[in-house]
Amino acid sequence: MQPESIELTLPAGREWHAVARLVLGGVADRLNLSFEDLDDLQLAVERLLVEAASQDTVMLRIDVVDHGVRVGVGPLVERTIADALQGPDAEPGELTLRRILQTVVDSFGVEEFPEGGIVVRLQKAVRGR
Amino acid sequence: MAAREELVQRHLPLVRSLARRFAGRGESLEDLEQVGAIGLIKAIDRFEMSREVALTSYATPNIVGEIKRHFRDRGSAIRIPRNLKELSAKLGKAMERLTATQGRSPTIAELAAELDTIPEQVLEALEAGSARSTVSLSSGTNADDLDPMEIVGEEDEGYDRVEDRASLEPAIGTLPAREREILRMRFEQGMTQSQIAERVGVSQMHVSRLIRKSIDQLRDELL
Repeated sequence: MQPESIELTLPAGREWHAVARLVLGGVADRLNLSFEDLDDLQLAVERLLVEAASQDTVMLRIDVVDHGVRVGVGPLVERTIADALQGPDAEPGELTLRRILQTVVDSFGVEEFPEGGIVVRLQKAVRGR
Repeated sequence: MAAREELVQRHLPLVRSLARRFAGRGESLEDLEQVGAIGLIKAIDRFEMSREVALTSYATPNIVGEIKRHFRDRGSAIRIPRNLKELSAKLGKAMERLTATQGRSPTIAELAAELDTIPEQVLEALEAGSARSTVSLSSGTNADDLDPMEIVGEEDEGYDRVEDRASLEPAIGTLPAREREILRMRFEQGMTQSQIAERVGVSQMHVSRLIRKSIDQLRDELL
């Protein structure tokens, strides 16, 4: 079976985030993701797109995987994001990017991008009905 | 700290007055006042008595600048067709009905079936529900309006860039109590949007919007 993937290169400006949201929505519909799960995934991706604001473009790679969807956002040139995502858990009362991602996706990780920068991988499962 | 609070309270009428000049451009007055209040707090924190300028004069361009930035960030060139507006208005109710009957958040396909439309229209309507109309900050809503640009001074110069870009914590105190509580329920207690909606007494879609808006606001505070 062919892997089901979508690659999308976007200008990094906030006005293009709607395009990313619509594409994620289309994928979520095909996977029968609930509105809340879609909203969570969109929030996670948007938070990472915001971190790319100083760049010209940013790429999304969406892979349909067993029982869910995996989204890569990058390359992000701001390496402090990697430190923040791989650092210690937030203290009670703190709201960090790490805490947001921990809440809204099932798992996330940081990978080096071969040409420089990092790619953040997000995974969201389709819940049983 | 008490003095700072007193200064904020004393100058809130200025914020309201400035916010009103931007009313009728697609954002609620309450939202504009909240955004303006952030500009006021920034101005108070950066104000130096030695400048020999009144705080009101110093704060005005900061407040207006904050409101302008809000419009710039929220602005969208999307003109929403009437049918999408109507569908968007029905979505919230459909979401509540389906969540209540099924005991879980509906899928896009279920929402489409409920509203007798196709999933793509539902996705567009969801997007339309969060879109904002384009506004010109130089155009008043009536002839008596003072052009906001006339009172805009230099803004944001010298603002320190926050090193820890990933932490939203320092700005969280600028949010209204309800939004802070919603963020705490979602990100500390791990409650779902539906659970929060039930607890707070608003729709799930409204909870979603409040969460996004709050996080956007916190993030903007740090840039």
